[in-house]
Amino acid sequence: MNENAERILKSELGGKAPHGMDGLTEADMAGFAGILHDAKRRQSQALEEAVDEALEIVPRLLRGAIRRILFG
Amino acid sequence: MNARQNADVEILKLARLVGVESEDLRYFEQVDAQDIRDLRDQVTVVMFDADRQMLQRVANATRLIPIKLAAVIGEQAFGPLLCARVTGLLEPSRAVDIARHLPTEFLASLAVQLDPRRASRVIAEMPADQIAAIARVLARREEHIAMGRLVSHLSKASLAAALDVVDDEALLKTAYVMESKSSIGALVALLSAERLEQIIRTASSAGLWPEALEVLRYVSDDQRGWLGDLAAGLEDEVLDSMVRAAQADDLWASVLPVTRAMSHESRERFAGLASVQTRPVLATIVDAAAQEALWAELLVLLPVLPPAARRRVAALATAFGRSVFEGILDAAHEHDLWSPLILFAVELEKPAQKRIAESLGGLEDDAVDGLLAEVYNERLEVELLGIIAQLALAGQKRVAKRLADRADEDILAVLVQAAEDNSFAPLQKAAKST
Repeated sequence: MNENAERILKSELGGKAPHGMDGLTEADMAGFAGILHDAKRRQSQALEEAVDEALEIVPRLLRGAIRRILFG
Repeated sequence: MNARQNADVEILKLARLVGVESEDLRYFEQVDAQDIRDLRDQVTVVMFDADRQMLQRVANATRLIPIKLAAVIGEQAFGPLLCARVTGLLEPSRAVDIARHLPTEFLASLAVQLDPRRASRVIAEMPADQIAAIARVLARREEHIAMGRLVSHLSKASLAAALDVVDDEALLKTAYVMESKSSIGALVALLSAERLEQIIRTASSAGLWPEALEVLRYVSDDQRGWLGDLAAGLEDEVLDSMVRAAQADDLWASVLPVTRAMSHESRERFAGLASVQTRPVLATIVDAAAQEALWAELLVLLPVLPPAARRRVAALATAFGRSVFEGILDAAHEHDLWSPLILFAVELEKPAQKRIAESLGGLEDDAVDGLLAEVYNERLEVELLGIIAQLALAGQKRVAKRLADRADEDILAVLVQAAEDNSFAPLQKAAKST
């Protein structure tokens, strides 16, 4: 496993290197790190949009309290 | 499931988790399935941790709003993936209440994205009829992997309800990819004999023997025997299709333990099939026994094979070396199968008998005791001496002394009588010296 690709993937995995990936090329390793990065970004973006949309649905009366819980 | 299939299933699960197609992760095909699974566990944690703070706040905010409104927001704003992420962070009873107000199709989509380990209590507390409805949708969508991940988290009532609505093909495909194989026994225990017979017929008609035989690897010995008996009670056509599948897909290592666990009558029925008795099939069975050390399975099958088929196996066994025979002797000792071993040994050619006799000389005391007891009980002393007689004189003397030293008075008496009747001097001499 290429050290640079391993480092990138390790970083995406929160600092822990995966086992048994010796058969993967540097490109595979970097490719998966990119897929994981995109998945996290998409999820965060979707969550942000969902929260905004949810606040539109919540009755005005509750909105302030919910907003405080969500955003402090 | 072979290593490649295991890896394919794990790749599919990983792909789903990171929102891509399996094809995008083909490079993981060369990685061991367990390593992919470990990576998936890491990715699961990372995906949850990435937004943990906000997900937890969403879960907390849910407490403030009415259940019905939470369901509307979940469906319209969050969608199945984010709801799946939040589920495990909710109070289980509240999650179940919210789910009551969500459409089944939505819950099925949520179930596909759910990490069951993080939502185990929610899954267990869901009403059985709702689980059944979700299972029906998942089966229709052929989401066998998602179903397989959920099974071990279901309550008994939910599992039973789901089994009622899922057809045999979906059930076999789900069991095949189940994450917690240890739950397969509990699943089988909930099925009636009639349903199991129907499932076995489906395995035959739909070409799902690999799936069905995979299930049999993970049930208890009693269940394995029961399922084997049920299969043996079905038409030749069903059993022949299993033999063909075992031969084509290298599944004998799964079939042989079933033949061992089934009743003697069922085993006779199986061994009597013309499809089992062909030379290629017998050769593959013997190969599987050798590769997987399934000698006990082979030994119980031998006595019920017709003589011609047994001779074919004997011809194949002639090529075995001494270490292989030692493995067979160990199995005979461990599983109390000396009788079929001796009866089979006398059908072998003389060089093979000689290798067995050599191995007899190296048996531990308790193994010799077991051998002698069975020889006495089954009156196999003549056969035993015939095998030892294949050795050179020094070897005959050594093995005879070993047997005479361990034999009690009664056993020694029958051995000596057999030696006298068959002019086998080494044992008579060994008996005199004890």
